Amino acid sequence: MTDTVQAQPDDRALVRIRGLTTVLNGKTVFDKLDLDIPRGKVTAIMGPSGTGKTTLLKHITGQMRGDAGQVMVAGKNVPELSREALFELRERIGYLFQNSALLTDFDVFENVAFPLRQHTKLPEVLIRNIVLTKLQAVGLRGAASLLPSELSGGMARRVALARAIVFDPMLILYDEPFVGLDPIALNQVLKLIRTLNETLGITSVLVAHELEAIKQVADRVYLIANGKVVAQGDPKTIANDGSPWTRQFFGGEADGPVPFQYPADDYGQALGFRQGAA
Amino acid sequence: MSQRKSYAVGTGLFIVLGFAALAYLATQTTSVVNSHQGASYTVDAQFSDIGQLKERAPVKVAGVRVGQVQSITLDPGKAVADVTLLIDKKFSQIPANSVATIYTSGLLGDQYVGLQYGNAKAYLANGSHVGLTKSTQPLEEMLSKFLGSNGAADAIGGTYKVTAHFTNVGALTVGAPVKMAGVAIGSVSDVKADPVKLDATVTMSINKQYNQIPDDSAAAIFTSGLIGTQYVAIQPGGSPNSLKEGDQLVLTQSAVQLEDLIGKFLVSGSPSGNNNNAGGNGSSNQPAGKH
Amino acid sequence: MSAQLGRENILIGSLAQIGRCGLFLLRILTAIPLSMRYARETVRQLWFVGAMSLTIIMTCGLFVGMVLGLQLYHVLAIFGGTSATGSVVALAVYRELGPVVTALLFAGRAGTSITAEIGLMRATDQIAAMEMMAVDPIAYVIAPRFLAGLVAMPLLCCVFCGLSIFGGHLVAVDWLGVDNGTFWSNMTANVNVWNDVVNGLIWKSLVFGAVISLIAVFQGYTTPPTSEGVAYATTRTVVTSSIAILALDFVLTAFLM
Repeated sequence: MTDTVQAQPDDRALVRIRGLTTVLNGKTVFDKLDLDIPRGKVTAIMGPSGTGKTTLLKHITGQMRGDAGQVMVAGKNVPELSREALFELRERIGYLFQNSALLTDFDVFENVAFPLRQHTKLPEVLIRNIVLTKLQAVGLRGAASLLPSELSGGMARRVALARAIVFDPMLILYDEPFVGLDPIALNQVLKLIRTLNETLGITSVLVAHELEAIKQVADRVYLIANGKVVAQGDPKTIANDGSPWTRQFFGGEADGPVPFQYPADDYGQALGFRQGAA
Repeated sequence: MSQRKSYAVGTGLFIVLGFAALAYLATQTTSVVNSHQGASYTVDAQFSDIGQLKERAPVKVAGVRVGQVQSITLDPGKAVADVTLLIDKKFSQIPANSVATIYTSGLLGDQYVGLQYGNAKAYLANGSHVGLTKSTQPLEEMLSKFLGSNGAADAIGGTYKVTAHFTNVGALTVGAPVKMAGVAIGSVSDVKADPVKLDATVTMSINKQYNQIPDDSAAAIFTSGLIGTQYVAIQPGGSPNSLKEGDQLVLTQSAVQLEDLIGKFLVSGSPSGNNNNAGGNGSSNQPAGKH
Repeated sequence: MSAQLGRENILIGSLAQIGRCGLFLLRILTAIPLSMRYARETVRQLWFVGAMSLTIIMTCGLFVGMVLGLQLYHVLAIFGGTSATGSVVALAVYRELGPVVTALLFAGRAGTSITAEIGLMRATDQIAAMEMMAVDPIAYVIAPRFLAGLVAMPLLCCVFCGLSIFGGHLVAVDWLGVDNGTFWSNMTANVNVWNDVVNGLIWKSLVFGAVISLIAVFQGYTTPPTSEGVAYATTRTVVTSSIAILALDFVLTAFLM
C-alpha cells in the first residue's frame, strides 16, 4: 500500500471524479467532490447516513447526473454518454444492490443467466456452464432451482453477486453489502469480495458502515461528509489522522461535526419561553 | 424450461380461443351469415313500392332462403324501383313466370322478397327479368282491409248498422273493431261529427250472426292496452228487444283521455267509481283537488 | 382565494399527469421495436393478463348474457316482441356491455396486478437492476405488458361476448321458450359485422385495452417505491381506468356509430 499520495497517474485510477457538484431538492449533496478509485483495488466509501454514498455510486453508473463536474470511468465521461454508450459501459460494471434486487419471476439460475440471455446469443450449454461456474464461486450451485423468495438475505446477496460477475466486469460496485447479515453470512460475503478482487483483479467499490469488515477487505478508504471528502487513506491508519470527522465517525461519538440535533430554531423559544429569559 | 413451455401453450390456447370466439361472433351471429359467397346468378325485378326493403335482405322461396337483394336503384325517369336479386346457383330451377312479392316477416320484422313459383317450363337465368311483381303494402292498408267493412265479417252473412253518439271518440277510427265480451262482432264503419248535437256519431257494422243484442245495451270506447288502438265495446243490457238495422245506442261512454285518467287518479287517489262518469269532462268534477 | 388557487393547482396537476402519461406512452411506443427482442416476455405477460383473466371474464359474460336474456324477454313480452331477444342481446353485448364490462373487469383483474407488480419491482430495485444490467426496463418490463394488454383485451372481449350470447340463448331459448330458429335468425338479420362487431367490439376493446394497460404501467412505474405507494397506485389504476373507460366509451360511441 504505497499509493497513499492523493495525486495519481491517470492509468492507475479507473474512476476519476473531479469537481462533482449535485444539488437534489435544494440540498447540496456533493460540493466540488474530487475522488479517485484505483484500478485493481478495493476502495471503501464511508460516511454518516445521508451523505450520498449510494448517490455517488449512481453517478458512477450514470443512473444520476450531477449538475457540474466530471465522472470519468475507464476514460469516458459518464454524464456525457449517450444511452447506448452508457448501456455498453454498464455491461462492464457489476452492481450489487442493497436488497439484492433479484428478479422475482425467475429462479436463481435464470437470474444469473439473465444478463447473458439479454446481451449474448450464446448456446444454452455455454450459458449453463458459465452460470454454474459463477454459482459455484459463490457456493450456491446447489440452489440453482430455488426461487428468490426461498432464499435467505445472505444467499440472495451471493446470488446477486454471482449475477453481477457473470460478465467478468472490470468494476463492481457494492451498495451496503453487509447490512442485515449475520456474522457467518457477513464473513462469506467478505471472503467473496476479497477473492474476486484477488483472483480476477476486479476493481471494487464498497459503500459500507462496518469498520471492522472494511479493515479486513479494503485497500483504501474515503470518508465523505458534507459533500466533500473529509478524510482518506489506509483503513488501518485513517482513524488516527486526527480530524474531528474521523474522530467522531470512527470513535462513534454522538455529537461532533455531525450534530446530534437536527438543525432547529431556538429550543427555549419552541417551548414557549422567551428567548434569554430562562 | 418446462414452466416456460406451459406459459407458451396456455397463451397459445388463449389466443386461439379468442380468435375462435371472434370468428364465431363475426360469422355466425351477424348478417355475414346471410351474405352469399358461393356461385350465384342475378335476376332483376321492378316494384312500384319497395317499402322498407334493404340491400342484403333475404330472398325466399316457400320461406327458405335462396339468395339476397343485391342492389336497389330507382329506374331513371319512372317512379319504379329496380331491385336486383342475387340467387344461389343451387336454386337454378325457378320458373321464369314466378311472382316476386315483398313481404314483411312478422309485424315489426324486416322485409324480404318472396318468390312464388309459376308454371313455366323455362327457368330464370342470369340477367333475366321477373315480370310479375307485387309491391309492398303499407301496414295501414292491410289493417284496414282486414278490419274494415270489407273484411271477413262481411263475407259470412252481411252486417247491420247501428249508431251511437259519443261526446268524445278519442282516437277511434274507421275500421276499429266492435267487441262484445272481448270478441269482435263487427267494425266501425263511420265516424262523423253531428252538426246539431255537437257530438260524434259513430256508425257500427255488426255481423248479422249477432242479432240478439238487447236494444238497451251500452256502447263504450275502450283502449286495448296502454299503447293499443281504441275499439267500441258493447255492454249488453236487459231489454227483451234486440238491436236492428238503423237503431241507436243511447247509453254511451266516451273515450277516456289518458290525461283525464291520470288526473283523476292523482287527485282522488282511487280509480274506482269513475265508471259512472260518462263524458270527457270527468276531471272537472274534481275541482281544486291539487295539493 | 386560496380555494381557487387550490383548484387551479389540481387542474394544473391533473393536466401535468395527463401530459406525463402521454410522454410515457411515447417512450413505450419508441421502445416497442426494441422490445421485439423480448417477444417471449410478451407471450409470458399475455399469459398473465390474458389467459389468467379468462375465468372471470367467462363467468361474468355468461351471467351478463343470462340476465340480459331474462330482462329483455320480460320487457319484450309486453310488446309481443320476444322474438327480438336474440338480436337485442347481441347488439347490447357487442356495442356496449361486452367492451365496457370486459374493460372494467380487465382493469380490476389485470390492471391492478400489472401496477402492483411494476411498483414492487421498483420498490425492490429490480427496475434499477435491469438498468444496471444494461437492459432497458421500458423495453423489457413495460412494453411487453402494454402490448399484452393491447392484444388480450379484444380477445377477452370476444370470449365475453360469445359467452354472453350463450347465456342469453340459455335463458331465452332453453328456459323461457323463445324459438331457437327465431332467436338466431333475428340476431343474424339485425347484427351488422362492420357496425357492431368491428366498430363496436374490436375498436372499442382495442382502445380500452391500450388505455388500461397504459394507465396500469404508468401508475406502477411512477409510484413512489414504498408499500404505501404501491397500494395507492393500484387503487388509482382502477379508479382512473374506470373513469377513462366510461368517458371514452361515450366518445367512441359518438364517433363510431
